[in-house]
Formats: sequence, C-alpha cells, structure tokens
Amino acid sequence: MANQIYFEDIKVGTEMPKLVKGPLIKLQHVIYAGASGDFNPLHVDDDFAKAVGMKDGVIAHGMLIMGFVGQAITSWIPKKDLKRFGVRFAGKVTDKKTQGGLNLITCEVTAVDETGDVKVTGSFDAALPTKG
Amino acid sequence: MADHSKVGKEYSAVRWEVERGKIRELVRAIGDPDPVYVDRNAAMKEGYKDCPVSPTFLTVPMMWSSSMPGVITDLAINFMMVLHGEEEYEYYQEIYPGDVITATPKVAAIEEKTNKSGKKMDMVTIELLYVNQRGEKVAKARSLLVERK
Repeated sequence: MANQIYFEDIKVGTEMPKLVKGPLIKLQHVIYAGASGDFNPLHVDDDFAKAVGMKDGVIAHGMLIMGFVGQAITSWIPKKDLKRFGVRFAGKVTDKKTQGGLNLITCEVTAVDETGDVKVTGSFDAALPTKG
Repeated sequence: MADHSKVGKEYSAVRWEVERGKIRELVRAIGDPDPVYVDRNAAMKEGYKDCPVSPTFLTVPMMWSSSMPGVITDLAINFMMVLHGEEEYEYYQEIYPGDVITATPKVAAIEEKTNKSGKKMDMVTIELLYVNQRGEKVAKARSLLVERK
C-alpha cells in the first residue's frame, strides 16, 4: 500500500523504487490465465509453445508483466492518483506540470529480467495532491 | 492481413459485472499483496468507497468475454502472426465490486509499416471506452496489435 506522495516531493529526474518479482514458476502462468481469462496455450502448454518455436516451452503473458509494473507503480503512488498507464511490450520522472488544476507527473517504467534483458517499457501519469 | 476497410468499425458492447472475487484473483495471480484490493476496511481507510480494481483489471472483461479474440477474427488477422505490441489505460473514475461496466471496442487505426529488415507489418489500434451503470466514463484502453505478414 502506497503512502500518500505529494507533488512537492517529486522532482523531474526522481527515480521510482524498484520492485523485484519472481522467480516466475509455471504455476503462476496457470493462475494468471485463470484470473485474466487469457487461455492462449502459448502461456500454459509446453508442447504447444515448443511447436510454435519457443524452445524452452511456455512464455509469460505480457499482461502479467504489465501487472507487475502496475504493482510497482501502486506500491509507490496510490492507485487513486493514477491517471494513465501504458506499456510497450526501458524508471524515472520525465515531466512535472500543473495543468487544468491537476498536478501531473509523468514517469517512465521498465521491466527487465535477471540478465538485464528489457521485457516491457512504459510510462504512467499521476495527479498528486499538494501539501498546501 | 488485417482488413483495412474496417477502420472506424465499432463492435457490440461487452457488459460485465465486476465481482469482488475476480479483483482478488487477479492481484493474487500478479502476487500483489496490497490490502486495498481485498480488504474493504483497508480500502476505505485509504479514501476509496470499497476495494478498487488493480491497474490492469480492464483486460479481464475483454478476455473472459472472448471479445478481443472476436475482434481479431473479424479483422481477418492471422492469430499465429499477431503480437501484443502496446497496451495503455486512461483512468477517469474508480471501478468497484458490483459495478456493471460496458466496454465498446472500436478499430481506431490500421497502418502498414515496414521494419528495418524490410518485412511488412500491420499495426492495428483497438480502442475501448468503459462506461459504468450510471453512464459515467470510467476508463479508456488502447491496444496495439502487430500482425507480421
């Protein structure tokens, strides 16, 4: 649960805290398939995954990794302040402005595996309260 | 290849009642221990009316209703060649257990691009507007599908 963060606490260049997840186990792919309704066999059936060219078998749902990134964001910024969240299937604050009465920050996020290979890049906007 | 004549087409709306258990199931699958998604009292203490849905919950109605696979089929996109390129959400209001959400998919754009190695791809953007039972816009989703040719 994120503590309230105020607009004054954030500077352009502020880095969000890292969240480490995993190691991923196959059971998690099955649980995620059931929770999300995405039953693409590429994520749960090793034989199928190998047949379509994944030499190590099943791969994680991209949306599960986006879910991890969502967890990283809402562990730092309360969910209720989150206004936009998008990913591309490489985190710092890239913009900070007051617009239309909202105090907006824009932050980049990246999900990488243990070898440093980038899995997801994205960004989010949050509207934060001020201390005043 | 994707049927370029379908840009602008709207598909039938998906109507979805948000269940408390489904919110809990998704955060459990992600491994997010935040109590606001599962404990109403914890959520109310943080200023929510009830447990809010987590940031990527908007995918759940679309997958469980088979709406997204239906759109892909209608656009004549080859399932074996399609990749999920991007996903973006805009959040206007919280979604709570018991809300009835209506989501309407629309083909926002189909563009052909050529990658560095000269291979052609169709970039298909699907937009979804999510409206609650009071007619209030709660969120918007944008999915970019990439079909390799």
